[in-house]
Amino acid sequence: MAEREEQPLTASDSTPAPGPSRTGRAVALARLLHHECTDLLRLYKEKETFLSDHTPDGGRIITLSSEAEEPSAEEQVQLLHSALRQCLGLLHCVILKEEEEWGELEGDYETMRKTVRGRLEHLLYSTRDLVGTEDVALEVTPDHRCNQEVDGAGGAFGLKMWTYRVLLELIHWANHADKALHVLHLAREGTEEI
Amino acid sequence: MSRGSSISPSKPDRDLVWLICVLLGISGLNAQTNIVLTAPRQVSLSPNFSTQQLSVSWLGGAATTFDLIILRTEFNETVFYETVSATVNRVSGQHQWTWTSKEPLECTSLSVKICSRDGQTTSEWSETQILQGYDLPSKRDFQMYPQDRVVPVGANTTFCCIVEEGKTLKRISYGSTEMVVKNLSRRSYAVTAVNQGPSRPSGANVICQLTEINKIIGAVVFVGYPPLPTDFVCQTHDLQTSVCQWNKGRDTRMYGRRQTRYYVNGRNCTPPQRCSLPEWYGNWTLVAVNPVGQYSLTDSAELSHRVCPVAPVKLNRVVHAWNATVFWEWTSVNYSSLALVCQVELTSQGYKTKRVFSGSGLQSVVLLDLQPNENYSVQVRCGSQKNFWKWGNWSEVLPFTTKTYVPDAPDVWMWMNRDNTGLVVWKRPTPQQSHGQITGFEVTLWNAEENLQRTQSLSPDDYSLPVNLTQMASFSNDNEVIATVITQNVEGSSQPASVPLRLIDMDPPVFSRTAFTDSGFPLTWQQNASTTCSYLIEWLDASCRHDCQVEWIRVNAGSTNVSIETDTFQPGVRYNFSLYSCPSSSPLLIQRWQGYLQELVPSSSVRLSVSQQGSDAVLTWEEIPLADRRGFLLGYNVYISHGSELLPLAKLSDHGTRKYIVKDLDVGSYKFTVKAYTSAGEDTGTTVSIMMEPGSELILSILVSLGIVTLLLSIVSFICCKKRKWVKRAFYPDIPEPKLPGDWSRTRGPLDVKPSPHSMVHIVEKSEQDSFKDALVVIPEEEEDDEGQGIGDEPVDTDEPQSLRYYNQMVDERPIRPRFPDSSVSSASSMDSASTDVTYTGIQTSCSSLVFQQDPQSASEGHQPDADHSVSCGSGGGGYRPQMHPIALSDNIGLASPEPLLEPQAVSSGGYKPQNSWHIDSPTEEERNGLAPSLGSPVSVASTQFLLLDEEDHSEEKQQPPSSAATWLSNLLSSSKP
Repeated sequence: MAEREEQPLTASDSTPAPGPSRTGRAVALARLLHHECTDLLRLYKEKETFLSDHTPDGGRIITLSSEAEEPSAEEQVQLLHSALRQCLGLLHCVILKEEEEWGELEGDYETMRKTVRGRLEHLLYSTRDLVGTEDVALEVTPDHRCNQEVDGAGGAFGLKMWTYRVLLELIHWANHADKALHVLHLAREGTEEI
Repeated sequence: MSRGSSISPSKPDRDLVWLICVLLGISGLNAQTNIVLTAPRQVSLSPNFSTQQLSVSWLGGAATTFDLIILRTEFNETVFYETVSATVNRVSGQHQWTWTSKEPLECTSLSVKICSRDGQTTSEWSETQILQGYDLPSKRDFQMYPQDRVVPVGANTTFCCIVEEGKTLKRISYGSTEMVVKNLSRRSYAVTAVNQGPSRPSGANVICQLTEINKIIGAVVFVGYPPLPTDFVCQTHDLQTSVCQWNKGRDTRMYGRRQTRYYVNGRNCTPPQRCSLPEWYGNWTLVAVNPVGQYSLTDSAELSHRVCPVAPVKLNRVVHAWNATVFWEWTSVNYSSLALVCQVELTSQGYKTKRVFSGSGLQSVVLLDLQPNENYSVQVRCGSQKNFWKWGNWSEVLPFTTKTYVPDAPDVWMWMNRDNTGLVVWKRPTPQQSHGQITGFEVTLWNAEENLQRTQSLSPDDYSLPVNLTQMASFSNDNEVIATVITQNVEGSSQPASVPLRLIDMDPPVFSRTAFTDSGFPLTWQQNASTTCSYLIEWLDASCRHDCQVEWIRVNAGSTNVSIETDTFQPGVRYNFSLYSCPSSSPLLIQRWQGYLQELVPSSSVRLSVSQQGSDAVLTWEEIPLADRRGFLLGYNVYISHGSELLPLAKLSDHGTRKYIVKDLDVGSYKFTVKAYTSAGEDTGTTVSIMMEPGSELILSILVSLGIVTLLLSIVSFICCKKRKWVKRAFYPDIPEPKLPGDWSRTRGPLDVKPSPHSMVHIVEKSEQDSFKDALVVIPEEEEDDEGQGIGDEPVDTDEPQSLRYYNQMVDERPIRPRFPDSSVSSASSMDSASTDVTYTGIQTSCSSLVFQQDPQSASEGHQPDADHSVSCGSGGGGYRPQMHPIALSDNIGLASPEPLLEPQAVSSGGYKPQNSWHIDSPTEEERNGLAPSLGSPVSVASTQFLLLDEEDHSEEKQQPPSSAATWLSNLLSSSKP
């Protein structure tokens, strides 16, 4: 309830913009990202056919922990923002390693990879604008360093498996972003309508 | 032994040889027993996992050959067992030998033993050395080897998969191909890919899959080609340093970290295919290297032979109307003394031209022959004039626009209508002619003889001016008007261009035909030796008649042919081409042509009509308008419709034909189609239909004949009526009162029938022939007596009781002389008749067989012609002939008896003819009292009715002469004259 009382303080409510609200646009952006991440994985599986029937184990690459037992919608989006930053870092790292390993290619997969990166950056700016406050400064830069080891035995095969996991992670967090932002949208706008 | 010494002196040499052999044998035996083969010691293994090589070293004593055996430890399978000659390290005394394994050394543990060999003698085996594989129980991981192996295309590669402890292998696949698996150990499985093809950028996947779901491990192998660069060459741009270039050659399929690297003279050339070196070496070596191989190329040259100048920079210009100067700078000061040849590419209107200039350290050129007010772009490149190697790079493009200038004189022509009006036309100046923005035109009409001048200024968008030469008051054919046109732009006015405006009265030459070809309409003409003028050829749509928008081109003097082609020609349009000589001074029409870009079928059809002419159908049509012909008409095709089909009737190849007769058609409906055709085919055609009717021409001819007869009879009757008195006097003069002395009781004179005051003439059966009642004329006695009050012209038709004078038939065969000499038989025997009522119960309209039978005997008796021809119905004697009014002929009569005018005898014999049956039909009291027999006809005994011929009735009154109707008519006309 406390969150609801703070809602009138948000800029989006005080000066409603025509058309979809900012939360609505963020939800739509997250859904678009999820769709594009799914497409990216499909293109990757078309390249690496051995992955078609494989579901990697090992759990999530990105895990989040909240101090609050029942985080508010804003807090959930803040956590989401952090996860998306790590996703962006992972994607940056995938791009870097793949270009180093296979060279700079210009196929459909590489094009979609670039698109997802841009969309993810856009979503990060959106979530920062939605839940960023003076107290909580949110970064939009990639949160990952590419010197970390990739999965398994390393090498080219390890890079492929790790890339696969990263793409699955992107789908997961894009889907999570859709849901979390939708919750925020409901909380702020009070309507399902995007 | 002593015995040996007792050998006879004859055998001393043989014994000596034998002794030496024994000694040598013994000494050799002793030597062999002295070499002792020792087992190799300090055997050590040194694996190279990436190359799959195992280096074995040992101390082996004096032996130079060794037996070496390598076993898979777990299965104790021999992998290698051969005798080898190992190299010896002279310092350490160690022997070393390297073995290359087909399988990765990680796959399973290998046991190595060595023994020394000397011939067939071997030492003991050395202690077994084991190279531990990665399938040891201590390494429980799921593994696959080798990882990231790079091999050339066509190589064979063995992969091994070490499954986890307690797990079962499901399969190993290479790409999408499941491989044949071989056990190397309890946990290690191997597959071999043979003759591998080139892989994609991310390599080929070798996947090892366990029966457990989601458990896979794999390796990636990259298969490619060694580099094969070509065209390695080095040159200099700045006359100091060298720049080397090459082509990569084939695609090596090596990407990313495995891509080919290049080195020129040992220098790593990061940008591929191009490498800059700090000096001119004169000799260069290119080495291309990738994981599967390397390739080298060399080049050598003198600097002066490899000069490729850099691109000029900082291009600038000085522009005028007709020329421009372009200048530039060089980035290298070394070019100042270098003999250069430069190429200047000039682009205008999309067309590129190249001009070449040369000079030492060339830095500027002058571009001549430019067009004013024209947009140009220019770029420059240069090469070494001496020992030219190749052109340098193009400079940046420098655009510029030349300055404006006064325009060129316009191209003027004219179109004259027949009414002394016309157009002065001129062509839109091209940018190459206008030299700037056109501000307008000035047109002057000038009559030189009368010194009359009219000037009119026109806007830049006007390209014609209507003129009316009749408004030039003093204009005549002798005083021609000259039109002068001046083009104006911001820089000034052009030179004037003139054309004389004068009608050409002479008949134009006939058109020749010209056929369009790929190069246009070819026109040729004869050269007139006396003509030194140029020519002008104009053309226009042939269907244009007034103020036509002509097009034209000018042809130089002396030309005798030209081909006309423009984008404005349209298929199906006839164009007239006219050749004029001296178009600017005194245009003279020399020759004309007509032609089509492409002939089409006519766009409209003929206007067709059809009419019946007897049993023929006459088709007539009109000419197709010129604009609709769309080709030269070759003729017409005539079709007849038969159901839905068109059957050709005729092909009329004369295009002037406008009529076609379809002969001998039966009665019925017909459809005819006429189609005009050109070389492109025939038009859609026009269809007409006609219903052929029977005998229409016969009816028509009969109607015409009847009309003529009716007209003639009407005229005759009219004249007879007008001259009735004369006729009566001429043919029926009054009969004087007879004076008959003596007994005349036997004489059967004429019976005067006095009608009762209420007597009526009844006409039955043919009510439609009411007009015929005029044929029965009741003549009052007083009228007969009084000629001055005769019946006159009007027919008598009255209900008042009339006195009907009836002249009885003379049946008495005795000659009654007193009846003569009067010409009228009847009048000779006429008597006063008593009045009587006569009732006609029927009127027979024809008695041709009886009435018109002439009695030849009576004709030969020498009676007077008048008397002879006054008889009727076979009676040679006279009888009663009532005077009758003319009546109109009925059609039936006309059709049945068209000959009355040809047989005047028959005509004259007609008339009122009482028959012998009259007394039956009219049983009056007088008849019953004995008068009735006197009324009977001596001839027509069978008739029961009166016979009354229509045409004869009124002709009887005419009392025609016996000779002929023509004679009678002539007499009549001559005597009827007052």
